[in-house]
Amino acid sequence: MMDFQRRALDQETRKAKNVAVTLRRFAGYFRPYWLNLVGVVVFTLVVVYCNILYPALIGQAADCYLISTPTTQMGGSGVATTSCWYTDIAQLTSNESKISGLLGLALLIAGTFVVSALFTGFSFYTMRLAGQGVLRDMRGHVFNHMHNLSIGYYSRNEAGEIMSRVTNDMDTLQQMFNFALLNVFQGLMIIFWIAVAMLRENLVYGLLSLAIAPVMLFTTRYFSNQARKAFRVARQEIGNVNADLQESIAGAREVQAFNREEESIAQFQKANEANRAANVRAAVFTSALNPVLEALSYVALGTVVVVGGFSALNNQPLLAGTSVISVGTIFAFLAYIQRINQPISQIAVLWTNVQSGIAGGERIFILMDEDIEIHDRDNAKPMPQIIGKVEFKDVEAEYVKGEKVLKGINFGVNTGEMVAIVGPTGAGKTTIINMIPRFYDVTDGQVLIDGLDVRDVTQDSLRKQIGMVLQDTFLFSDSVMENIRYGRLDASDDEVIVAAKMVAAHDFIERLPDGYMTVLGERGSGLSQGQRQLIAIARVALMNPNILILDEATSSVDTRTERVIQAAFEKLLQGRTSFVIAHRLSTIRNANLVLMVADGQIIERGTHQELLAKGGAYYDLYMSQFKAEEDVA
Amino acid sequence: MQAVSSASPKMKGREKRAKGEQGYLRRAIGYLGRYKTMTFIAYGALIIATLSQLIVPQLVQAMIDSITQGAVAQQVLSIPSEQGRMFALTQLNTTQDALQNTYNSAPSWILGAVALILLVAVIRGLFAFIQSYAAEWTAQGIAYSMRNDIFIRIQRLSFSYYDRNQTGQLMIRATDDVERVRLFIAQGLLLTFQAFLLLVVTLTILFLTNWRLTLSILPILPFSIILFGIFGKISQPLFRDVQIRLSKLNTVLQENVAGIRVVKAFVRQNHEQKRFDESNQDLYIHWLKIARAFSFLFPMIFFVGQIGQAVILYFSGTQIIDGSLAIGEYQKFNLYLAYVFFPLGQLGLIVSLMAQASASAERIFEIIDTKSEITDKPNAIDLPSIEGNVEFRDVTFRYFSSTAPVLNKVSFTIKTGQTIALLGATGSGKTTIINLIPRFYDASEGAVLIDGHDVRDVKLDSLRSQIGIVLQETNLFSGTIRDNIVFGRPDATDEEVIAAAKASAAHDFILDFPNGYETSVGERGATLSGGQKQRLAIARALLLNPKLLILDDSTSAVDFTTERKIQAALDNLMQGRTSFVIAQRISTARNADVIIVLDKGAMVAMGTHAELIENSPIYAEIFASQLVDDSQPVAEAQ
Repeated sequence: MMDFQRRALDQETRKAKNVAVTLRRFAGYFRPYWLNLVGVVVFTLVVVYCNILYPALIGQAADCYLISTPTTQMGGSGVATTSCWYTDIAQLTSNESKISGLLGLALLIAGTFVVSALFTGFSFYTMRLAGQGVLRDMRGHVFNHMHNLSIGYYSRNEAGEIMSRVTNDMDTLQQMFNFALLNVFQGLMIIFWIAVAMLRENLVYGLLSLAIAPVMLFTTRYFSNQARKAFRVARQEIGNVNADLQESIAGAREVQAFNREEESIAQFQKANEANRAANVRAAVFTSALNPVLEALSYVALGTVVVVGGFSALNNQPLLAGTSVISVGTIFAFLAYIQRINQPISQIAVLWTNVQSGIAGGERIFILMDEDIEIHDRDNAKPMPQIIGKVEFKDVEAEYVKGEKVLKGINFGVNTGEMVAIVGPTGAGKTTIINMIPRFYDVTDGQVLIDGLDVRDVTQDSLRKQIGMVLQDTFLFSDSVMENIRYGRLDASDDEVIVAAKMVAAHDFIERLPDGYMTVLGERGSGLSQGQRQLIAIARVALMNPNILILDEATSSVDTRTERVIQAAFEKLLQGRTSFVIAHRLSTIRNANLVLMVADGQIIERGTHQELLAKGGAYYDLYMSQFKAEEDVA
Repeated sequence: MQAVSSASPKMKGREKRAKGEQGYLRRAIGYLGRYKTMTFIAYGALIIATLSQLIVPQLVQAMIDSITQGAVAQQVLSIPSEQGRMFALTQLNTTQDALQNTYNSAPSWILGAVALILLVAVIRGLFAFIQSYAAEWTAQGIAYSMRNDIFIRIQRLSFSYYDRNQTGQLMIRATDDVERVRLFIAQGLLLTFQAFLLLVVTLTILFLTNWRLTLSILPILPFSIILFGIFGKISQPLFRDVQIRLSKLNTVLQENVAGIRVVKAFVRQNHEQKRFDESNQDLYIHWLKIARAFSFLFPMIFFVGQIGQAVILYFSGTQIIDGSLAIGEYQKFNLYLAYVFFPLGQLGLIVSLMAQASASAERIFEIIDTKSEITDKPNAIDLPSIEGNVEFRDVTFRYFSSTAPVLNKVSFTIKTGQTIALLGATGSGKTTIINLIPRFYDASEGAVLIDGHDVRDVKLDSLRSQIGIVLQETNLFSGTIRDNIVFGRPDATDEEVIAAAKASAAHDFILDFPNGYETSVGERGATLSGGQKQRLAIARALLLNPKLLILDDSTSAVDFTTERKIQAALDNLMQGRTSFVIAQRISTARNADVIIVLDKGAMVAMGTHAELIENSPIYAEIFASQLVDDSQPVAEAQ
């Protein structure tokens, strides 16, 4: 079984729900390349025509030059030779004239090969030109749209799922545009043309010869479907094998610590065996497909020979009123039959590829149609230089309709003040801070910065003036220098270094193998959690915003780094209005205002001292920590 | 065309070193030895299928000859004038009776030939199926064996191997690389054999049939081989380039999905879009490069494959006209011609499959050949029941690559039942110390002794089965909660399991799950919080009832109540055992019998809390820094 067949079969097949709409949108993308598509069609027609011409010309070679019986030379009634239309047989009186005529025909055939080869190249290139262009345009649009989608979309959808849309679905499209489409089109043309040629030459003979085609088509469908089913099982099993592998590589230390090597090997071998069994089962069908098709094509061959042969021998037509079959016709039909088999089996296999491509395209379009929840208003003005007064007025928010995550949030902060937000997980702390740079929109109420509703200004101008250090520090696989410069793209190297020094990140950066030029691995791997955080803080320091949002990390870093980070934060907070989701008491103690949040509401507010004195929920939270520490000690 | 384009995405640009890797590929092929019978069947069936394929043109010739002869006979016999018929007979050099005979027997000849062809078709189909199935069977078998070998090796590799290699990379070897070797053995190897067989047998037949005709097409062969060579040379680096561009594009994409908040927070959409557009355009340009190369090469290859037909038509035509060749023989020749060019067409695929498989085989055997650095000595003894005395004697440890020691001449002695707290910054060597005790690593210099036995002189199994370990990050394995607790002692009774779970404060939350102890966890099961996992890890260690305990204590990201529970469980666990604890919290350290303070691989202080707070500045610093965080607000509250 050829690799391409196997790969086509070993693929998750999906069917598009609305093929017409998806095709119309594909058409939209292909519109700029319409000239290419016209070219593809024309070139393909030429190629197919050459392909068709060959068997006809070979038949003529036989009829005109090779089979001419002595009777023709005598002007006898050689009925069977009348099918020679390529040349005037009467003039072929000598062997020399036949040979020179044959040379001309051979050269003509060689000529069709040249033309066919050239136009195959043309059609291939123009198709790729259009296909790759469309893929490029679609990728660009998807990427652009991804940026317009609100943060809400990203919290509702798995990152892996979004990635798979853009990579896997694009890949199925790529396969479809690159070669399935062209091959299916060309195959259909060849089948159609051969069928027409056969039927026109001799309707009855043609129908008999073509009778095998539908059988081949159904056979291919049957074996393909069976193979697909088996491959689906195999994919699940290989998933188990991979999970086992993943687990035991990740847990290798534990396996060794607990002397579990034997058991874990036995378990793996079981999964591995199941995978092998599933694949071997699939092999039954994949191995059977081609031999069966080949055998069927011999049946077609036999039909052509027997039916045609008897007609020629008896010098009688197959049906009264149709023409007698000549030896040349038999030759031509033999060539036709041999040429029609390959496109039939190819289309049967590739058709699924086209189906998957359309389904993949549909999924990409769904992503592109995903509602951009947060728009700039038509009359949105740029946010003037932020001074730092922030006010929440009766703010309500919901992620899912009807389920409020924030209810009646009211508070105000003056320039340069710090707000600490505390409360249990899921209380709405993160939602509150996400409202300030307008990552989410309020469903009711207002968020005002310097008296301006955040929805009345452009998102870009707003966010450019708000610095954020998020809990899960995200770094790009680029140099440390560029990662810090992300805060302000036009900053000079010196400014980057000043910012790093300010947050005490300079020292450790200098100690990295290439200093500021050290290129970080995926998501900043190679650095400790604390170091990553320091770089993120430096990034914001470089930005120098008047409003700062911090989400303190809960994960543990060693004590010294912890202190460095703490110091860096304090430095950063100076003179800026800041919002901190606090996990450290030292932060809370320094805050001008502490908001205790629970169930989307502010249940207590005040300074640390005031709240302690109140003896409410904050006091309880505080005491539980205090008591825990006591128990431990 | 299909074969080549479909092979392309799999070319990941590792082909360039292919030459030196043939030895590995040969070793991979050697795995076939494990499946001798099936391999024999596969290749036997291949030979039968190929040879029966080669009979077909003979049969086609027979068919055509019987048709043409019959047709000619029919025409001559139907010439009305006696004179004309006689003339035709002399021209054909035959008699009327002979011609009549030919004509009469023609139908049975045709039927016979067709029946034969169908018979051969069935035989060929059957053996083609057997060949393909058996080949896939052996290839799956080889993939299976290789994965097992890799897995067995991976299970026994020392910790330092895992420090040097990432999970993802090891995964790729066991999945993608094995898959490539499988593909080559299932297809490439067979194709090579088949191509060789076809070429040799076909050329022989052609020469025997008509050596003059054969000579006329022979010049095309070397030309097409050169063409395929060029094709491989040009296309492989092109695909490598595309692969590089693609992974670049995916990196930008990945970063923008994972880091969307950062992109939005810093208003960098335009910057990122520009980055993406550049990569996107770059990828487009490289795909077009491939398209250009292919749109030139493909037609060339087609043309070379086809031109032989025109050549043969002319040369055989002249022979037919002068009567030295039967038309059926020409047809036969034409069909055999396809069998000459078919294997040549496969050459490109074979070369690329082989190159990929060689590179993959090398990476696979790299793992299989890795020597575990930690193995039992030949004369290793079973470690007697541990009492709990541990001694580090001038222990220095360094990783291969670096000459700077991670631990530098560390010496200490611990008595039975003591709790030892290890303190120090990240990278100070705490983890290394605890890894040396169960011999996850071997000391570069010096010795680690348990009850006076050097850990290198005893059997690994006997050593590790007597040490309870709670690692910093707990991995759960697929299976039930109970399976995970009995991980180190599969024969434990339910009572023992429950007792261990209770002692580690895990019993209550386990019962909260719908299926209790039988709840599935791990990669394909329920998700447990960090605190819950840690308590299961403690239960797991407790069940071993070890005399020696190692705890990498990190209660990160758990709430206060859970932390308290875990602490209580740990206290339970440590009673009456020699325990090494990597402490993040001063409270743990304060209760320890011995505190060892480490700094950059050296032991800088050792003693009790009271002693160290007096005379170790580093300890005092760590202690003070934590006091600031924990105790001050406590004081305020009071």
